[in-house]
Amino acid sequence: MESLLQHLERFSELLAVSRTTHVSTWDPATVRRALQWARYLRHVHSRFGRHVRIRTALERRLQKRGRQDGAPGSAPVPGLTNFQALGRCDRLLSLRLLENRALGDAAYHYLLQQLFPGPGVPDADEETLQGSLVRLARRGSAVHMLRFIGYGENSVLEDAVLKTQAELLLERLREVPKAEAEGPSRFLSTLWDRLPQNNFLKVIAVALLLPPSSPRPQGEELELGTPKTPGEGGQELIRWLLAKSDVMAAFCHNLPVGLLTSVAGRHPELSRAYLGLLTDWGRHLRYDLEKGTWVGAESQHVSWEELYGRFQSLCQAPPPLKDEVLTALESCKAQDGDFQVPGLSIWTDLLLALGSGS
Amino acid sequence: MAQDSVGFSSDYQFWLQKLSVWDQASTLETQQDTCLHLPRFQEFLRQMYEVLKEMMKAKKILIWCLCCLINKEPQNSEESKLNSWTRGLLSHILSAFRFDTKEVGLFTQGLGYAPADYCPGLLKNMVLSLASELRENHLNGFNTQRRMVPEKIRFLSRVCIPLVTLPDIEPLVEALLTYHGYEPQEVLWPEFFDAVNEAFLLKKISLPTSAVVCLWLRHLPSLEKATLHLFDKLISSERNFLRRIECFLKDSLLPEAACHPAIFRIVDEMFRCALLETDGAPEVLAAIQVFTWCFVEALEKKNKQLKFTFKTYFPYASPSLIMVLLQHPKEIPQELWHQPLKHISEMLREIVEDQTHGSYGGPFECWFLFIHFGGWADIVAEQLVMSEAEPPEALLWLLAFSYSPRDRSLQRTQTMIEVKAVLGHLKKLFRSPTLSAKDLQAAAAESRDRDPRPPLCQQLIRRLILNFLLWAPGGHVIAREVITLMAPTDELTYEMTGLLDQTLYRWDHLCMEAPRSRKLARELLAELRSAGTAR
Repeated sequence: MESLLQHLERFSELLAVSRTTHVSTWDPATVRRALQWARYLRHVHSRFGRHVRIRTALERRLQKRGRQDGAPGSAPVPGLTNFQALGRCDRLLSLRLLENRALGDAAYHYLLQQLFPGPGVPDADEETLQGSLVRLARRGSAVHMLRFIGYGENSVLEDAVLKTQAELLLERLREVPKAEAEGPSRFLSTLWDRLPQNNFLKVIAVALLLPPSSPRPQGEELELGTPKTPGEGGQELIRWLLAKSDVMAAFCHNLPVGLLTSVAGRHPELSRAYLGLLTDWGRHLRYDLEKGTWVGAESQHVSWEELYGRFQSLCQAPPPLKDEVLTALESCKAQDGDFQVPGLSIWTDLLLALGSGS
Repeated sequence: MAQDSVGFSSDYQFWLQKLSVWDQASTLETQQDTCLHLPRFQEFLRQMYEVLKEMMKAKKILIWCLCCLINKEPQNSEESKLNSWTRGLLSHILSAFRFDTKEVGLFTQGLGYAPADYCPGLLKNMVLSLASELRENHLNGFNTQRRMVPEKIRFLSRVCIPLVTLPDIEPLVEALLTYHGYEPQEVLWPEFFDAVNEAFLLKKISLPTSAVVCLWLRHLPSLEKATLHLFDKLISSERNFLRRIECFLKDSLLPEAACHPAIFRIVDEMFRCALLETDGAPEVLAAIQVFTWCFVEALEKKNKQLKFTFKTYFPYASPSLIMVLLQHPKEIPQELWHQPLKHISEMLREIVEDQTHGSYGGPFECWFLFIHFGGWADIVAEQLVMSEAEPPEALLWLLAFSYSPRDRSLQRTQTMIEVKAVLGHLKKLFRSPTLSAKDLQAAAAESRDRDPRPPLCQQLIRRLILNFLLWAPGGHVIAREVITLMAPTDELTYEMTGLLDQTLYRWDHLCMEAPRSRKLARELLAELRSAGTAR
């Protein structure tokens, strides 16, 4: 067992090196050894897939190694991050070497010979490394070709890209060890600090809208005994959002209105928080007699139009969200004094603008 | 193809060298060399074009070619440059899609994913997204409604042509095939249909039947190709037994698709042409018969969904005739089979003997309709042999007609007389305890004072003899001897095996018991087949 773990360590190091210029010192023999190691680990994956203890031990080691500063919850390093990745480690290594320009010509030539033996060798099943690489290449080309079917701003590609990112996020969330309760939150916070935030918010929203029984999308093999149930990732996201008020504010402020409404419709905890924020924003507006409209005291306050737009969208949602929103508005209106005349309470005006039929 | 590609990649090296030589020097020698090699070079370029055309489908071959170009020890800067260029190209081909937006790239990297990890998932999502767009659905409710304009759909179908054999693309192909727009003309690119059809016929793509039916309804050449592909399989050099024909037919999805009258008419027409061109070959007859079995079976299953009257499938036939033909013998007790048979005979006779040819076509049309439901013809022969009574004229007529539709009434009457005579002899022998092969030979013998029997009539008689052997109590004893006498040639053996196979197939479908006859038939069939291969 110990030797296996050592092997894993050395291979992970090898994998890390394979992207650097250090490979310029590699000769065909080195490449051969590297491929052999990869093949061995792939064999380990297929052999011990059902052996829970060994698998868990390997997974733990990989996850520990896979964090940038060793702490659970920090961002993962590209490479072998979980047991499943072992099943593809030969492909991972091969692709890195193929793209590395620093690899010498002789070593590169040897690598090609190993990967693509040519027509003489029978390609028994598609599960060979060659088949896997070719299939990947075909899929990549397909993506290239299909992306041109974009039209206007909301291209098909953009939706698919968001959905894919959402799936990736949920997969990483699933891997955070459950032992530490703060693991997922810390992980998400790290991501929030490091990654482009607007995109991250959109991805979270899409992730929250994915159907609850989403199976593992990236793995090509079925994983047995998945430790976490799908849908838990969504719960972690919500928990984190509700805990971090600045993120929640950005979430509600920056995302497209329709998207927010959908998310609120699906997750009642978020709809409450959203409504809370909206009422908060509403209280900052004062009625300007000259202009005859509600304006914010400061520039960063949300405008009347925007507030109205959001409420309008919420009221077009199916019940119970719609009812929840109207109830909230009514109660705010009552708190303010239950005025019927416009210009005195923003809540009255909003309800009037939304009309009784909405 | 493997052979070609080996030769091709070495050819490529050869031509590359030649080209560099020709490029560098322009002496008289090189000019002569060029002229000499030009035709071969042309051939090579043509091959290269074919290969490049297959680029998407045969990525492997392209990769192999490029691998050959890599020099493991480049001697000079030129070779290094070529290496570098080839490596770049290989890298480009093998690399998965990379997000070109910085944000997204950072996101995936931040999560520790390489493009190879998310490419399959991305493709899946794009395909699903496009497919559901085509179905005018909303995706998870966060998109605004979008309509895909016809030009975009056309372009999409064109883009999909080289992707058709990639399994991930199947949902999109299905969505395109079943797309129903509001435009009067076909919006999809024609080569798209060709590509999908070919992939389907070669089993490189699996599509639901509804999508395949849409394909064939929208693109006639595809349907024709699919039918011809089926014919190829059915009418091969080795005799295909009816069970196998049934498998091929069901596999091809054509019987199920034929529940749609337009498809049925086209396929039926092609069968008719095949029949005419082969002058009524038994293989084609068998194929039509099995096709109709499968078609009727499929139609019954769909009974609740499709509601076309039979007139739409058989527009030139008398509706009452079709109703009788469609009856399944299984639903009628065996003793009463005479009734529908007589009825069919009378109706057919009326149409055939109607000099004005009415609205139901001439003798050939009638016969063509009849042989679709060929089981009835086989039953007539069996019934005539098994029955103790005097053979009814209607059944004799039907039997004669089924074998020889183009006979004039005089010829037919002649045949009927012959058959009646033979049947008379056979009946006397049916329960004879001392049955011998010679007796049977005598019974079947042609009478000297009449004209020799035409070949189709002889065939008919042979069939009656075979039925006799299967059903007469003493038949199994003399069976082999009689068959040796009756089928001395390969051709006749072939005929006999066909008859036996057809009989067994029919008994299976009708769930007829008759264990002794069945056993005999099976044994005879096995013996004849092995004798046939031994010769």
